[in-house]
Amino acid sequence: MAPLIPQGLINPELNLFFALLLGIGFGYVLEQAGFSSAKKLAGVFYGYDFVVLRVFFTAGITAMIGLLYFNHLGWIDMNLVYINPTFLYSAIAGGVIMGFGFILGGYCPGTSIVAAVTGKIDAFLFIAGMLIGIFVFGHFYHRFESLYTGHFLGNIFVYDSLGFSRSWFALLLVIVALLAFAITQMIEDRINKTSPEQIKSRPSHVMPAMLLIAAAFIFLLIPEERKSNLRERSPEAMWAEIYDGNPFVSTHRVIHEVKNHRNELVLIDTRNKAAYDRFSLPGSVHIPLEEVLHRRWRSLFDKDPRPKVFFGDGSSGATMAYMTAARAGYDRVFILDGGLNKLFDDLFTETEIPDTTAYNLQDRSTARFLNEARRFFLEGGVAAREEEERPRIKAPEESEIIPVIGGC
Amino acid sequence: MSTNRNNYMNPYLAGFLLGLVLLASFVITGRGLGASGAIRSVVISTVGSLAPDYAGQSAFYSEFFSGASPLGSWLVILVIGVILGSFLSGALGNRLAFKTDRGPRISVRTRLMFALGGGLLFGLGAQFGRGCTSGSALSGMAVMSTGGILTMMAIFGTGYMIAYFFRKLWT
Repeated sequence: MAPLIPQGLINPELNLFFALLLGIGFGYVLEQAGFSSAKKLAGVFYGYDFVVLRVFFTAGITAMIGLLYFNHLGWIDMNLVYINPTFLYSAIAGGVIMGFGFILGGYCPGTSIVAAVTGKIDAFLFIAGMLIGIFVFGHFYHRFESLYTGHFLGNIFVYDSLGFSRSWFALLLVIVALLAFAITQMIEDRINKTSPEQIKSRPSHVMPAMLLIAAAFIFLLIPEERKSNLRERSPEAMWAEIYDGNPFVSTHRVIHEVKNHRNELVLIDTRNKAAYDRFSLPGSVHIPLEEVLHRRWRSLFDKDPRPKVFFGDGSSGATMAYMTAARAGYDRVFILDGGLNKLFDDLFTETEIPDTTAYNLQDRSTARFLNEARRFFLEGGVAAREEEERPRIKAPEESEIIPVIGGC
Repeated sequence: MSTNRNNYMNPYLAGFLLGLVLLASFVITGRGLGASGAIRSVVISTVGSLAPDYAGQSAFYSEFFSGASPLGSWLVILVIGVILGSFLSGALGNRLAFKTDRGPRISVRTRLMFALGGGLLFGLGAQFGRGCTSGSALSGMAVMSTGGILTMMAIFGTGYMIAYFFRKLWT
């Protein structure tokens, strides 16, 4: 279902309207938390005020757990969410430079805007400095480019980098955050010489902390497999369909398609690349099993109204591809019954055209059809067509379908 | 000062609300929040309009020539929202006033110089980090991106390592 705009559930033109709304919420909360004061912000590095750590960590964990829940319930497709790419040394160098900027300037970009709005003159200077800093980056971009674009590790997740499961990492992060909250509160009290009565009079945070741990702990108990979207079908319904024979398309239908150049089916070759390169049906597109759910094929499955027929040498590979696609909610997917082997058996087994009697009109026409097709195939009609037609459907470029651009 | 401090929202509540805003951003638009991207857009379109020949020499300005106008850009509208939201909050909390925020031991002039320098470094660093504390560190943490969390640790790690040497600025 979500993200709503990349999924097309909300008009993309409203995107900017939501940007405004989200910005208002963002700015309001930052100001309410006291982020319009550089002195308060810098407190996190000197121990007299840890508000930055509290707000920042709480926000990060809230959003992280929220996303985990949405993902587990199948409410959000994380493939469509922008995951910050990891350019190893650029990420670290940028962080180090920003660390210096934070200590010297007392703000970060978001908070400097909030502070400037509430009238802090130093924040205006900070913003002016940022404009210069970005200009400097642009001016020396040719020098920075190798660092900036080097060591790209992909849009990787920290739990994979550390070798944890996602659920364990989430729980660990929650515990680290809670410990940090407790310890920094003690440090803050000591530095500010808070009186013991004042500390005692504070409301207890034990309950919310326990709730938070419980919320993260639940992920350890529920399995990682989850629905990727709402249209997903149940295994029982799919078995019933296969049992009824619904998803099978006969070899005769496919021979008819190829021979007469009908262009009514999308033929999908699920065999490996070498086999596909050696020979495939004319006009067929190569989508091996492991790529069926790849998001670059999504528009083919979702938007192309023609039936999609999976085929392999036999039926088993195609059936697995069919199951994968149908489970994910793709409609109008089929299996070539018996695969290429049966197709060639049908084509190249010589059959006599039976004599006409009143009872075998159907057999006669089938045999005649196969005889014609055999001649067509043997005379090279297919080979010629294959040259001109393959590939009829090209794999879309990866970059075309990354739906959201990033960050800050 | 002491009355102001009590006016602020409980930080955990503020963090929770900020987390909900961030979550809403992911659920609605598929991406997190950010601030430095808008400032980058301003630089790119300003330089691109004033000195197109200069901008044409660097791949950094290619965004300008691809025709994305700064006002139409998502991140810029987001920051316009931030301006409205923080003004509203500041007005309600009676915190709107022109002043310079500084540590007790430095002059206004020194503070402003360091603010400019700090801004310069932050602007530069946010390019390498592909986002600032909000776009890279906070949003990156929410989606558990390795790069985002590395950047976050580098920002705060560096801050703590060098804080001692700059203590005169703040304490």
